[in-house]
Amino acid sequence: MSDESKPAPGGLLNGLETQKTRRVNEAARSLHPSAVKDLLSLGVCERCILRLVTVTATFDSDLATVSSSTLRGWLGSGVEEAASPEPSICIVCLGVLQFVFSDAKQTLVKSDHVAWITDLVKQQGHEFDSFVLEVSLPSTISENERAVLLYLKGKYSDEAWLQSEKVSVKDALKVLVLDPLRASLGAKSDSSSFHIRLTYSQASDEAQGLSETKHERKKRKTDEENGSNCMSENPFKKVSEPCILSVHCNKMPIFFGGRYFKYSRNVSQSRWIIDDERMGEASVEEIIGGSILPACLGDSYKFHAAGREDIDVRMLGSGRPFLIEVQNSRKCPSQQSLTEIEEKINNSEKKLVGVKDLKFIGSECWAMMREGEAEKQKQYAALVWISRPLEEEDCNSVSSMKELKILQKTPIRVLHRRSQLERERTIHWMKVEKIKGNAHYFLLHLCTQAGTYIKEFVHGDLGRTTPSMGSILGCRAEIIQLDVTDVKMGDS
Amino acid sequence: MAENPETDDTIETTKQNQSEEEVEHSDEQKQEDELRSLLLSDIGDLPLSPPSATQVNFVSYFITDFTKPGHDQYIYRHANGLCVIGLAPTHIAFKDEGGITNIDFNVGKSDRSVLKVSGKRKKNAMRSESNTALCKVSTAKDSYIVRCCVKGSLLEVNERLIKQPQLLNSSADREGYIAIIMPTRPADWTKNKESLITLEEYKAKKEVSL
Repeated sequence: MSDESKPAPGGLLNGLETQKTRRVNEAARSLHPSAVKDLLSLGVCERCILRLVTVTATFDSDLATVSSSTLRGWLGSGVEEAASPEPSICIVCLGVLQFVFSDAKQTLVKSDHVAWITDLVKQQGHEFDSFVLEVSLPSTISENERAVLLYLKGKYSDEAWLQSEKVSVKDALKVLVLDPLRASLGAKSDSSSFHIRLTYSQASDEAQGLSETKHERKKRKTDEENGSNCMSENPFKKVSEPCILSVHCNKMPIFFGGRYFKYSRNVSQSRWIIDDERMGEASVEEIIGGSILPACLGDSYKFHAAGREDIDVRMLGSGRPFLIEVQNSRKCPSQQSLTEIEEKINNSEKKLVGVKDLKFIGSECWAMMREGEAEKQKQYAALVWISRPLEEEDCNSVSSMKELKILQKTPIRVLHRRSQLERERTIHWMKVEKIKGNAHYFLLHLCTQAGTYIKEFVHGDLGRTTPSMGSILGCRAEIIQLDVTDVKMGDS
Repeated sequence: MAENPETDDTIETTKQNQSEEEVEHSDEQKQEDELRSLLLSDIGDLPLSPPSATQVNFVSYFITDFTKPGHDQYIYRHANGLCVIGLAPTHIAFKDEGGITNIDFNVGKSDRSVLKVSGKRKKNAMRSESNTALCKVSTAKDSYIVRCCVKGSLLEVNERLIKQPQLLNSSADREGYIAIIMPTRPADWTKNKESLITLEEYKAKKEVSL
């Protein structure tokens, strides 16, 4: 009998390693010998055996330091299959805990599993210093495990080690792989916005060993209810193919914020396409998002703004707050690059859109958006035409109206997609600015509650908005053009 | 014409404070000036009488002698498909002395002014055919039935007319509109359109200058 307290073959190990292997050795030797022999002959791998037959529910990273073959040796020899060069695929974990798997082309991966996974992660190009590991396994694995446990219960009923809770294959894999992966990637594995997902999937449709059909599952359930614990008729079939492992990395969305200006009356806020035809010349969303996305090497972006304006309304003054959400970014651009992007947009030839204060935003992004919303006031400048000449008295009467309450029925231009409602809104103040040489036109400056339809307030929407500019001045009024001059945020 | 005295005052006051908080105010002032120049520079040609919102956003159609001679109505169709229905200027009701004095929405099986449409999907809207009665307008002499002319859902009727029927006389093409109908299917509108005529055809037919 060999002295099994000697360290495992293959080089020097420090004191800690020796301690670990000794612990594993002891655990292995404490297992029920005939159960172990049984499982080995069925085709269950060493790590699964340790998982299923051990009394203590721990399955710690100590095990990672011990190779399969060493473990096999400790579990006891005298089994014919120990001599075979290529160990068969475990009927429970389908090779997952044996680090036996195929790549996407269904070719068996011969290289070290940690190195292989690291390569695939690096290929996806993300910059990261910490990660979260996720594992996805085929459902047949838990079915296999259940079948084996059932078999063991049948043979060794009432043994202590049968009653204890078993570490799942998923948890076992994470424990085995996390430390080496951490070292290989040079990153921590605490809570992080960068996720690495290992997905194992079965290669073929053939029933892998012990998986039950629906019919069999029903039969087994009713059998268990009826008190009989007999095994299903099928013997434990051999597993011919390992699982296919794919590695996918995903970074949680990152946010950039700022304020935008819209100088054109032919640019919509978001991409607007009807019947394959684009409405307007461009969109704010695409101009800003399209500049930020390449700098982040992301998959896609979403544009959020605190309110919106029509395509023919300019956004001037202090600008409107917006957020760009980038999915699966590979790197985070520096403030310097963001400033460069901002300058590029502002100095572009066409000058359709402007950007201010572009910066990276953390978790406070949604609070920032909410600031620009419902309770806030908006300021506008409208070019108004009236059917009779403007008089001094008109300027005074208009400016004297403070906190004017108006009732707006849903404007006809949006009635097709919004509810038929009567909305009360407040015009906080108004100011008339005369235009040199023309008594029929004037610039109306006004500050209103959020959600007010300005165009309808001016022309009255066939009398469905009262009072309107026309009814106040006692004549017909039309709005020629509109500009947003301020979107107030908080106390600014 | 002089600049608005109020604006002038505001600018003066700002300049006075400049001595105390120079940098901040001149920045703000610069922004304000930039804004003003943007606002004013965009004012191009100012035509004497610009097209009205109705003319810009709607396409006008007319139907003449609908079910009875002289029953001329307009249908203003918005780009989103909604149709505003009303009396065309050549409707015979206007020819009666004193014009229209009363309007009654209680025709057919229900009072059209009572129906309330709810939600985006416009539940509870009354379904109308082109000859469904909408209301009855009365003058001193006679009363006339006004019909939908469009097949679809009745979204609203102009209840203001009940208290102010004179709106029909003064501005039948704006505040005196009668109802708003949403055609339920594009196919319905296409079929409807066949019996309607355009503004040009209407003018020619009635030899009216509008």
